[in-house]
This record gives sequence, structure tokens and C-alpha cells, in this order.
Amino acid sequence: MSANSDAQPQAVPARLAAMDQAYTVTTNRWGRITMIISLLLATSVPFYLLFFGGVSVTGAQVLTGFLAVAATYGVFWIVEPVTYYPILGPAGMYQAFMIGNISNKLLPSAIVAQSSINARPGTRKAEFAATAAICGAAAVHVVSLLLLVGLLGTWLVSITPPEITEVARLYILPAILGGIVVQLIATLKQIKAALIAMAIAAAMVFGVLPFVPALAGFNTGIVVLLTIVVVWFARPRSMRGARTRADGDEETIGIA
Amino acid sequence: MSPQPLPASASPHRSPDLLASTDVPGLANTPILWILALAVLSVVGIQSAIYMVAVRRNAEAADMSPREVNRAFRAGGIAAIGPSLAVVLVAVALLPLFGTPPVLVRIGLIGSAATEVASAELAAQTMGSGLSGDGYTTDVFVVALMAMSLSGAGWMLATLILTPVLKTGSAKLQKVNPALMSIVPGAALLAAFAALAMTELPKSGVHAVAVAVSAVIMAVCLLIANRLRAAWLKEWALGFAIVGALTVAYFVHHAG
Repeated sequence: MSANSDAQPQAVPARLAAMDQAYTVTTNRWGRITMIISLLLATSVPFYLLFFGGVSVTGAQVLTGFLAVAATYGVFWIVEPVTYYPILGPAGMYQAFMIGNISNKLLPSAIVAQSSINARPGTRKAEFAATAAICGAAAVHVVSLLLLVGLLGTWLVSITPPEITEVARLYILPAILGGIVVQLIATLKQIKAALIAMAIAAAMVFGVLPFVPALAGFNTGIVVLLTIVVVWFARPRSMRGARTRADGDEETIGIA
Repeated sequence: MSPQPLPASASPHRSPDLLASTDVPGLANTPILWILALAVLSVVGIQSAIYMVAVRRNAEAADMSPREVNRAFRAGGIAAIGPSLAVVLVAVALLPLFGTPPVLVRIGLIGSAATEVASAELAAQTMGSGLSGDGYTTDVFVVALMAMSLSGAGWMLATLILTPVLKTGSAKLQKVNPALMSIVPGAALLAAFAALAMTELPKSGVHAVAVAVSAVIMAVCLLIANRLRAAWLKEWALGFAIVGALTVAYFVHHAG
């Protein structure tokens, strides 16, 4: 988009910077506020049942159950936000960890949107596109939950053949991931980085995990970290020592 | 594990007698919990509305036209149709196990089916039961739901605490080394999805077939979209890939 003619030449960058700032302030402030509210609402669901549901459950039983879950998933409270931050950015973080289904729905939506308006990850445009895409995904998701689970759920239980539910449950993730990897590669056009990521992922899944199964939960985080390091050291000469802006000329971004 | 219908002997209404009730949906489908679940859905809707306004108002700062903003929103929504329907299918299958409001909050939003069901099972085991059979009483359910919810709260708290920290960190990196920050997001995306897709391959032959079919359909769609300049096909491609991969998976699964 070109600068408006009514603005003075010097005022344009200042105006755009102010808009950029406004976006950051709004999304961060309201992202945090909405997330805290939904955290409180969601967590009060089991507490209501605990106190008013007429069950005889002790605090010790709750603690034991929670510790069993925390022992398995506690690490991921930290690992997942750190893994997804470079992809989502601060605004997207507050959306994603509230809406859920990040890798199987929200990130694919963001990638499709970036690809459809040719925005490359790492640019400001890509960040805005991802936010808009996650909003679109949230709208579709909330409506389908309300209608199909909330309103018609009990009826759908009675008419859906169990074989279909079974297949969807087992294979939805691979059915999403195959396509999204191809779309990602086509959008980013960073063949070298893609090959590095694939090689590291394959080495982890087929070379390391069979022997160190305890690492399974950290697999994605490890592959992300190693890929960033290797891609960084394999970057083209043109980027070495260069002080290019992240949203600068497309030629200088990423591994071509 | 597959959800099992409650035994026919389960009492249709909860009674304060000494026999432990197994009527979990009866306990969970109370008006207050419905209000809480709808409130969480509303908060997601409100957050999306605030974010969309922020994107629309300040799009110029990201060199994005209003048309591109709408395009990104629509593309994100369309890409989410397939994954959302899959979540709906799984959520519907879990209704007899958890009741509608907890399913809406935990499976539909915030978490994902795999994590939440595994968490519930872990917590239920500490009560000497699983998520099915006569041992799965309302007491076990409340302990499982408490554990799932507190663990989910851990994720959201970590996001609230870590996002500002990571933001400061990446802003510093951006200043010290802009080239690094232009490489990280793309590399992280490629690595995350390479790792997720690669992890699916050794699970079973059908998983591998689903990944491959989805990838091939996506590649064909993108080729056609580029050849015919059909932008809409880029938005729908993920949906086609998911449906195609699941259809093939259905036949392979039931053939083998």
C-alpha cells in the first residue's frame, strides 16, 4: 500500500510506527486480559463440581491426580510456549494457548493465510496475517463447537458410525500434517532450510528416539532448536554480518 | 482408547444414597456449567473481535491492504474447517465420558483431545479406575477433570508469564542480530512441522499412508493453483488433502 498523499513525507513513517505500536499494545493488553478471564472461567468448572456436585472427593485425591498429570505434562507448560513463540509472536501466543489445537489447526490456518497473500514468515505482514487467520479459524471453530457439539452433539453421538469416528480420531493428525508440510515448503521457498529440518527430524525420529524413548516429548523442541542452529550456520554469505531489517527486502530474508 | 457408553444400569438421576453414581453426563450437564462453557466460548469470540479490529485499523503499518486482511481472515477460516470438524467428531465421541460443558471447554478449546484424554486417564488411574467401566464414578470424573483443568491452567499461566519474557529477549536479539531474527521464524516453522509429520510415520503403515496422500493432494492442488492462478484453491487445498487422506486411511484401516 502506498503512503497517503495528504500526509507529509516525514510524517508517514511516524504515523506507521504509531499504528504498529497501537497494534502491539492492543493485542498484548487485551490478549492478556482475555486469557486471564478464560483461565478463571475454565478452571472454575471442576471447582464447582468439587464443591457443589455432591461428590465425596478429598483434597489429597485431587492433589494425587494432579501430580500424576503434572509429572507427565508439567515440562510442556514451559516447552510448548517456548517452542511456538518464534512462530506465533506475542499476539498469537495469547490466542493460541486459549483456543487450543495449535499444531493441528491454528498454525496450519496461519500458514495457509500467509501463503494466500504471499507474506513471508518473519515479516510484520506475516504476523498480522497470522493474527487475522487465527481469528478466522477461531470463528469457524467456535461456531462449529456451538452447533455441532453444544446443540447437536448428543444426537450426533447416536448417528455417527463408530468406524468413522475411530478413523478420524486415529488419522486426523497425519492427514493434516502431510499437506501442511508441503504448503509450508511451497510458501517459504527455503529449500535448504526445509531439507535441513527434514534431515534433523528424521534423524531424531528414526535414529535417536528408538534408543532414548524418554526424549519423545521433547522431540519437537529439540528439532526446532537444532534446525535454527544449523540453518543459522549454513546461511548464505550475503547474510553474514549483514544488518538487514527483518521486514526488509525479500531477497535478504531466510535461506533461498 | 475408545470411549465406552455408560452401562445401562447407570441411574438416570443422581441420588444421595451410598452407591457411587456413574452418571457423569447427568452431573456435568448442569445449567451453571453450561453458562461457564458458553462464557469461555464468548471470551474467545471477544478476543478475536478485538484482534481483528486491531489488525484492520493498523494494517497499513504491516504494508497490508484491507483486501489482504479479509483474505487472510477468510483463508484462516476455510483452512480451519477440516481440522475443526475433526475436533468436533472426537469431541462428540467423548460426550458420554465427560458431559457437554467439560468437553466444550477442555477438548474443544484450550487443550487438545489427545492431551486431555491422556491427562484424564492418568488422573483416573490414581483413583484405581480408568475412564470406562463401573469403576468410573462421578468421584473419579471430578478428580480427572480437576487434574485436567489444573494442568491446563499450568499451560496458560506459563504462557502469561513467559510471553513478556520471550518478547523482551527477541526484541534484544532483533537489535543485536537482525539477520538471526529473520531466519528463526521460518526455520522454527519448518522444523516444528517436519518433526510432527516425521513422528507420525513410524506409528503404523496407515499413518504413513495418510501423511503421503495428504502431501500428494496438497502438491497437486498447489501446482494447479499456480498454473491456473486459482487463489481459492490454495485456501481449500488443506481441506481436500484432509478429506482425501482420511478417505484412503478409512479403506486401508478397514482392509488391513
